[in-house]
Amino acid sequence: MSTANIRTGRALAIIALMLGAAAPFAGSPYRSARGQVDVAGLAGMIAREEDHVTALELATWIHDRKSGLRIIDVREPAEFAAYQIPTAENVPLSQFRRLSVKPEETVVLYSGGGAHAAQAWVFIRAMGHRQVFFLASGLNEWIDEVMNPVASTPITRYFGGVARPEGSTSPSASTTADKVKQLRRRGC
Amino acid sequence: MALRAPQPYANPYVAGTCLGLVLLAAFVLTGRGLGASGAFAATSTSAVRAVAPEAAQTSPYFSRYLEADGRARPWHDWLVIEILGVVAGGLVSAVAAGRWRLTLARGRGVSPGARVTAAMGGGAAMGAGAVLARGCTSGQALTGGAMLSVGSWIFIAAAFGGAYAFARPLRALWSGRRVGGSTR
Amino acid sequence: MTDSLVLAFVIGVAFGFTLERAGLADAPKLARQFYLTDLTVFKVMFSALVTAMLGLFWLGRLGVVDVSAIYVPETFMAPQFLGGLVFGLGFVACGLCPGTSCVSAATGRLDGVAVIGGLFAGVVAMGFAVPAIAPFFTSGARGTFTIPDALHLPYGVVVFAVTLMALGGFMVAERIEARA
Repeated sequence: MSTANIRTGRALAIIALMLGAAAPFAGSPYRSARGQVDVAGLAGMIAREEDHVTALELATWIHDRKSGLRIIDVREPAEFAAYQIPTAENVPLSQFRRLSVKPEETVVLYSGGGAHAAQAWVFIRAMGHRQVFFLASGLNEWIDEVMNPVASTPITRYFGGVARPEGSTSPSASTTADKVKQLRRRGC
Repeated sequence: MALRAPQPYANPYVAGTCLGLVLLAAFVLTGRGLGASGAFAATSTSAVRAVAPEAAQTSPYFSRYLEADGRARPWHDWLVIEILGVVAGGLVSAVAAGRWRLTLARGRGVSPGARVTAAMGGGAAMGAGAVLARGCTSGQALTGGAMLSVGSWIFIAAAFGGAYAFARPLRALWSGRRVGGSTR
Repeated sequence: MTDSLVLAFVIGVAFGFTLERAGLADAPKLARQFYLTDLTVFKVMFSALVTAMLGLFWLGRLGVVDVSAIYVPETFMAPQFLGGLVFGLGFVACGLCPGTSCVSAATGRLDGVAVIGGLFAGVVAMGFAVPAIAPFFTSGARGTFTIPDALHLPYGVVVFAVTLMALGGFMVAERIEARA
């Protein structure tokens, strides 16, 4: 190569070296690594119950094809594969770094019982998104209120669910996994 | 083996940096990188669909390039339009540099027939490899490599490794006669 | 045409232009990479890779770009390894890759056209073979899987390591070419 070429090459190499050497000290390039938690603001929202939705509300949103709705299941892939709320996508908490939410989307998070989803709610709010909710009692609530409620409603039938047998007022299975097994047994 | 070419090409580091900036622009402006083999897949799907529509729809590989209604719309595929740009860009650069020439580029002493056969065979191998690897040097090595994807780096290592491994056995494709006792 | 397709075309033009400028439309020149007499392919590819990698890292760090929104090619370890080997064989046999074959054809080189023909044949043949090798085709699937994930290292550390490797590679390449 000509000397001019080598000089240009060297200049580029020095720039690359500087940018590369600084990289390990710069932290993460992902936006999710720099969340900001407005503690008072979020606590107020939680107290006013503006942080969550009920299973019936969510079911109605899905039925009405609410625009920009994005339902996120924060459980691990195996649990998601066993059963998921229709139209939900799976972003396990362990992969949250990669979550990307557009401003016009409305996110509804859910997990088995609701605890992980509630934590994820804080994270996504910390990343700056405003339209975020979670299902307060998670998949348990979805199954108990929508898929397998005391009395069947049009929404229940829309999702292919079935009312509980006559006379039973409380849900029979206790864990989410058991509830899912019950749902499966019923299918046709 | 032929000696280094005398044409005044650009400094490879500068050209590479420019290429990297083009890739970066693609990331920033479109949320995706570059690609080439995908355009071939999309166009192939159109051709397959024209000849045997059910085959295209039932194929797990080709059906991905069909629109929901089963019709093939390669013109709407980002990669195909990009490749058309690649052709246009290459044409402009060659004409501007006086390098446009209707010719069959081949090594010294290699017959045209051998060259064309090797070109088609090599292309077929690359096509097959690109299907398996979900991309080629543009989509996997460049784009996936810049994004530090493990599979892309595996592809880089295997592609360079494979090429070097097969270079010796295939040297006749590039040099029709031995160059003295040289090992190059 | 939508905005994004206009952008695709413009980006493609820049891509093709740059490749031709570097001389990568000429198959014998590309092939010399594998006979260690002209390492332009390595220099161009890794300069581009490092530039884009550093650019993406810093734009992400500065909040200009949302790195998590950019599509990362999925990892399928076994087919990408085998596919790479087969691709490498084809690459050294014909001296072009899918992108450069189009640039080459655009500059009047008929061997580029032949490679394009071969590419179509290979894609169609392997495309139809996919169902027959379905388990292999999706083996080693890891989805979006980056080196920082795999090695449990901070992203910036991997970026530095790759930069060093590339710069070291360039120094070795210069030495190899000087002896050629």
